[in-house]
Amino acid sequence: MTALRHIFRDPVAAFGLLVVLFAVFVAIFAPWLAPYPDDAFESHLLQRLRPPSMEFPFGTDNLGRDILSRVILGTRNALVVAVSVVLASMLIGVPLGLAAGWKEGWMSEVLMRVTDVFLAVPQLILALALGQLIAPGIGAAMVALALTYWPFFARTVFAETRRLRGALFVDALAGIGASPARILFLHVLPNAAPAILVRATIGMGFTILTAAILGFLGVGAAPPSPDWGLAVSEARQHLPEAWWFPTFPGLAILLLVLGFNLLGDGLRDAADPRLRRSRR
Amino acid sequence: MPEILGASGLSVELGARRGLLRHRPGVRAVDGVELSVREGETFGIVGESGCGKTTLARALLGLQRESGGEIRLEGRSVSGLAPREARRVREAVQYVHQDPGAALDPWWRVGATLAEGLSIHGIPGRAEQQARIAETLAAVGLDPALAERYPHELSGGQQRRVGLARILLLRPKVVILDEPTAGLDLSVQAAVLRLLRDLRARFGLTYIFISHDLSVVRRVCDRVAVMYLGRVVEQGPAETLFAAPGHPYTRALLAAAPRLDGTQTGPALPGDPPSLRAVPSGCRFHPRCGLATPDCAARDPALEDAAPGHRIACLRWRDAA
Amino acid sequence: MSIPVLQVQGLDVELRSERGVARILQDVTFTIPRGGTVGIVGESGCGKSTLLRAVLGILPKGAETPRGAILFDGQDILTDHAASARGRIGFVPQDPYLSLNPVFRAGDQILEIMRRHAPGSRADHKRKIVELFRAVQLPDPEGALRKYPHQFSGGQRQRLLIAAALACDPALVVADEPTTALDVTTQREILALLRRLVAERGLSLLFVTHDFGVLASVCQEVTVLYAGRVAESGPVRAVLDTPRHPYTRMLLACHPDRAADLAGIPGTVPAATAQPSGCRFHPRCPLAQPSCAAAAPPMQALGEGRAVACPWYETPLPETALA
Repeated sequence: MTALRHIFRDPVAAFGLLVVLFAVFVAIFAPWLAPYPDDAFESHLLQRLRPPSMEFPFGTDNLGRDILSRVILGTRNALVVAVSVVLASMLIGVPLGLAAGWKEGWMSEVLMRVTDVFLAVPQLILALALGQLIAPGIGAAMVALALTYWPFFARTVFAETRRLRGALFVDALAGIGASPARILFLHVLPNAAPAILVRATIGMGFTILTAAILGFLGVGAAPPSPDWGLAVSEARQHLPEAWWFPTFPGLAILLLVLGFNLLGDGLRDAADPRLRRSRR
Repeated sequence: MPEILGASGLSVELGARRGLLRHRPGVRAVDGVELSVREGETFGIVGESGCGKTTLARALLGLQRESGGEIRLEGRSVSGLAPREARRVREAVQYVHQDPGAALDPWWRVGATLAEGLSIHGIPGRAEQQARIAETLAAVGLDPALAERYPHELSGGQQRRVGLARILLLRPKVVILDEPTAGLDLSVQAAVLRLLRDLRARFGLTYIFISHDLSVVRRVCDRVAVMYLGRVVEQGPAETLFAAPGHPYTRALLAAAPRLDGTQTGPALPGDPPSLRAVPSGCRFHPRCGLATPDCAARDPALEDAAPGHRIACLRWRDAA
Repeated sequence: MSIPVLQVQGLDVELRSERGVARILQDVTFTIPRGGTVGIVGESGCGKSTLLRAVLGILPKGAETPRGAILFDGQDILTDHAASARGRIGFVPQDPYLSLNPVFRAGDQILEIMRRHAPGSRADHKRKIVELFRAVQLPDPEGALRKYPHQFSGGQRQRLLIAAALACDPALVVADEPTTALDVTTQREILALLRRLVAERGLSLLFVTHDFGVLASVCQEVTVLYAGRVAESGPVRAVLDTPRHPYTRMLLACHPDRAADLAGIPGTVPAATAQPSGCRFHPRCPLAQPSCAAAAPPMQALGEGRAVACPWYETPLPETALA
């Protein structure tokens, strides 16, 4: 609750939160919000590349589809991809980070060095390679993104666990005979939750961007899916005449990525008690 | 009175690392400590920072594994166990942290924290738990409504009482109190000490009272052990030890405590305590001792009886008096 | 008769926040004569650190001083702190571990203070620091100039900070519980050093503490604060031997060296935003009368430099209050 109040006191973070909430709203009600919900798959070659007008506020694309509808329908795709990738990364990264942070020894050393290797490889390249290896497509891209993003969670949770392991209240719990499982899952994990939440929020923005780039490069979403990155890619052949074609999907990417990042920064500030105190 | 908790030749090594290629030796934070705590008494452990008093407490508790020696609880040997096993066997010994606020999980309400201890110790029923919690909160002088609060909403004195309640719920026999009055105002300190005394009588507790505040120790302890660099250098009844300290270090320590009458007596103690990484040969105190002779640098004195129950580890204590 | 080094006269400090106005100090008056050592004692929440900040001119944002004056060398420093007091009040902080920047040499940190506040060349300053290091008995004074803070022990660091406080030849040294973080044997040495410096250099000292034993070993005069008001003031020996204010009497009865039985004081120190009317101690006082809640009792002079803010200073406390 205090975190939420903190977000609202920080106008930049509040803007991020609004953008994200708006995107979630749009994604949920996309079929009802889109003026032409069937334009997800249907093409109308007679109305190709119309500029923005009352009928088509964002114009139409090379197959005569309403860009506004496709941007709205694409929101759902983008968020579904982002949420699944971040959840999958969390499922891998959080337990590994907890385990490596709690126990000291060669196991945790190995785990963290593997994490370092993953962090050192440029994510996009790895995702591209994996995408090619498995077979291009949105599924492969998601697997690739999850495989490249979990080390960030592992790192964050590792650091939090190491910090909390030395905390007095953990020591006190060991003193009254609490089992390591109880300490880890009921005490360490909730205390690490703010850091995980911040990481997840920033990860959402990052995933949306990377997914768009993969779509743009042709190893992500496949036509006719209303993917933003794919739309920008398809628009290249019709530039500079059809300026509206890449602009609106591109703006959607920009806005949502920005929203997640601003919200993530705001959450980080809200979760950092030192910063909270200094602002007061 | 019979012994309830005791140790002989107890040593604890800290910071040792056994790597694949090199073996880094640790420091002996506790080195060959003998002690015997009697049932129902308040046993004080005093000494300055780095003397090993907290490490000793953690070893007695079982959270820190001893590297040598024996620990006895109610006549049984309970040493040589890994921390979890040790805590199970030594359930009758509990520990109250120096900083009671930091010893509470900030995300948990006081009531949940208190109930957790009961669940761990196999008292699951919610009604039973609530009844015990209310009773114990009342026993430590807190309003049972405090169970709904978070730790940061409590004052220092209240946090200390919650820390006590948490331990008392587990029905311990021996409670190790680590600096129970550090950082408390005089009026709150008096109230906490009085509470501790009442609880001891009411629950039949034995206290191990770790403190650097000699005025408080003199006031509440029955017997006292003085530690210096991992060793007990003097041990005896509080009255005797404070009235006629035998070890030169004890005397310097007592002389240094600021007194209300503003007088300073006895010799000052020059220099800072040496590090555990460079323990002096022979008697560990000899480089700072006014009575030291060459013999003190060569021979390591053992505790010897100066009077019944009063033991001193010094080659020259007779000359000091 | 020269002007006192410091005169605090009827000082009020208020702090405005979302939760209302906190009256942290009210009508605080005391004087430090030249060469005098005055202790400020009280429990947490009594306003002693705010008082210290007011004297140092570092009150937090939002703090106001609607009434009263702080005269340093006869000049009011509340209105013009920068001009009159900068560099002339030395400060010894509470925690020697936190008060030095670990990445700079100790000597350089003191030189930096002197460059800004003391006349003379860098070489003069260095000579001065070595002389001060000798005065505070740091081992190897010349070598200490080039050492980093972590190379000193806790007691040595506190000596270093005392030397830093003296670097600009201050007329007044303010010490904020300078021995709380230290062990008793080290504390004894630091207190002895302070006493010696006061005697040899004719320093004036404002010493904030919560420890009556420490107070007794360093100060000549004492001002006891309770909830932002002066309860009692006078020579240390007299106040400790025959405390007059019910609060001082009850507090001293809590001292383990003195207590007949461990008593405590019922209730808690009030929050600064919710101070009781009249005498701020009356809700906890066994001697309280209805008049105590109506108006704050004025300070009464008792002779021999003593004063107390309680009309019942001669009434014995009931047995139950000390039991």
